[in-house]
Amino acid sequence: MASGDPYDAALDLLRRLNPKHVAEHVDNIITLVPELAEDLLSSVDQPLTLRRCKQTGRDYLLCDYNRDGDSYRSPWSNQFDPPLDEAGLGGVGAGGNSAGAGGGAVPSERVRKMEMKLNEAFDVYRELYFEGGVSSVYMWNLDDGFAGVVLLKKASGPNDGSSSGVWDSIHVFEASERGRTSNYRLTSTVLLSLATKGASLGEVDLSGNMTRQVEYDLPVENDESHIVNVGRMVEDMELSMRNLLQEVYFGKAKDVVGDLRSIGSLSEGQRDRDAQRELIGSMRR
Amino acid sequence: MSTPKAIVSSFVEKAPPGEACLRSYHIKTLTASRPNLVNELGPAFKKYNEEQFRTVLLPGSSQHVILSSYNSLGDGRYYDVESSSSFAFDHTTQKPSAVQSHVLESAQADLIKSTLKGLSAYVKEHFANGAYGAYPIENDSKVAIIIVANKYSPSNFWNGRWRSLYIFDPSSNSLDGSIKVDVHYYEDGNVRLLTNKAVSASLSSVTGAGIAKDIATGEKKYQEELNRSFTSLSEGAFKALRRQLPVTRQKIEWDKVAGYRLGQDIGGGGAARR
Repeated sequence: MASGDPYDAALDLLRRLNPKHVAEHVDNIITLVPELAEDLLSSVDQPLTLRRCKQTGRDYLLCDYNRDGDSYRSPWSNQFDPPLDEAGLGGVGAGGNSAGAGGGAVPSERVRKMEMKLNEAFDVYRELYFEGGVSSVYMWNLDDGFAGVVLLKKASGPNDGSSSGVWDSIHVFEASERGRTSNYRLTSTVLLSLATKGASLGEVDLSGNMTRQVEYDLPVENDESHIVNVGRMVEDMELSMRNLLQEVYFGKAKDVVGDLRSIGSLSEGQRDRDAQRELIGSMRR
Repeated sequence: MSTPKAIVSSFVEKAPPGEACLRSYHIKTLTASRPNLVNELGPAFKKYNEEQFRTVLLPGSSQHVILSSYNSLGDGRYYDVESSSSFAFDHTTQKPSAVQSHVLESAQADLIKSTLKGLSAYVKEHFANGAYGAYPIENDSKVAIIIVANKYSPSNFWNGRWRSLYIFDPSSNSLDGSIKVDVHYYEDGNVRLLTNKAVSASLSSVTGAGIAKDIATGEKKYQEELNRSFTSLSEGAFKALRRQLPVTRQKIEWDKVAGYRLGQDIGGGGAARR
């Protein structure tokens, strides 16, 4: 913490402030240090917003990877909304080679084909696991391969009594192609916000985000292999993150409350432990 | 548009439990163009400390005393009834000083002392790191009762705070207040539990022991209710967001997924794979 880098300080601060209001905190930090705007907006995961594709009528998710200025690219139609100038769309090849974020990047024909297949595959995945919600996959070219982001969002309203929740997952992957194998690096963040209230409970809010990274070298025969590899990687990651979130949100939080306040009497608990120790001691003797 | 001072003050006031010491580093780094801003944050630190019932260890004492607006004497001084002392607190350096003897003079003094006695037994039995206080407020017409417990475990990436505030009104025998729990977990992420439960009770026995007993019963009930809410959130809202596995109990066959079509084929495909 000795270094005075404002970007590190901003991220460190964001790791401490209430994650439920991350967007507001980011705005506030940008007001303090406007130079941080681009870095923070592209690196700090925030709850996803959605838009309806004008060409296909389907919803898609917005993020920095499908943004160009104020326009966003629909994965279903490959069109920007609002449309970009002709000049902006001209550089498909050159723009497609940029490292992703913004820039009106449209992937090359080959990568766009994978993008379409992954969108179709994750639409099925979304229905099977989320039974609702919205999914979007965006891809871009890299010098030695390609990269992409799989986005999933689901909100559950206050329908089971008075509880509500929002799940946002953001899986960013990079694939370096090395002949018959590919090296995949996956960074996944899940933002999960849950709230409930009741007369005898009052209000409870459990909100946050967790991030995990994995790296794999996997065999590749053709572009179909990439769909399978990316799909499995994201599916396994979400399963382990869901388990992690369950443990932290419900197990850990409850344990900490129990560490703050003991439902049972502390002295009785101590007496029980002493008695047990004595018993074990006498059995050893 | 918020001013830098208002923004930084809001960061100070929104600090999670156990992290107050990190604030000035962030503030200095993020307001490098206004190095003096850190000196203007006294009011924000004061607000945070008083709202969060910051506990302080006075020199030569082993018992934590509480900071709140209810035991403020003004001019940065606070008092504690049990230890019959008052002290100055510098909200910027977070240090107490100038401890003096302070004898409670209040028409409610007997009730306050017997309440503290009852609270002492209760807090010792249920809070590993608890502090408590009772103070006359509103011209001696009411009594403010505070319980606060902090547990910081930075090596395990979590910190937590339990705080309760009750206002006892002897004219109506009513006990009104709130219980708040704040838990921060930050390994590989940032997760926060924030709860708020309003409490309102009418007491039959207006003794210190009766007040402490009513608080103990209410807090036990609340904690049990909160524990049940973790289970119901896990089984309810959480499950409704994302299943652990598809209905078929099987992971997706990604080599065939391009063949799945949305709509009726999902059910059909799922049945076929079972």
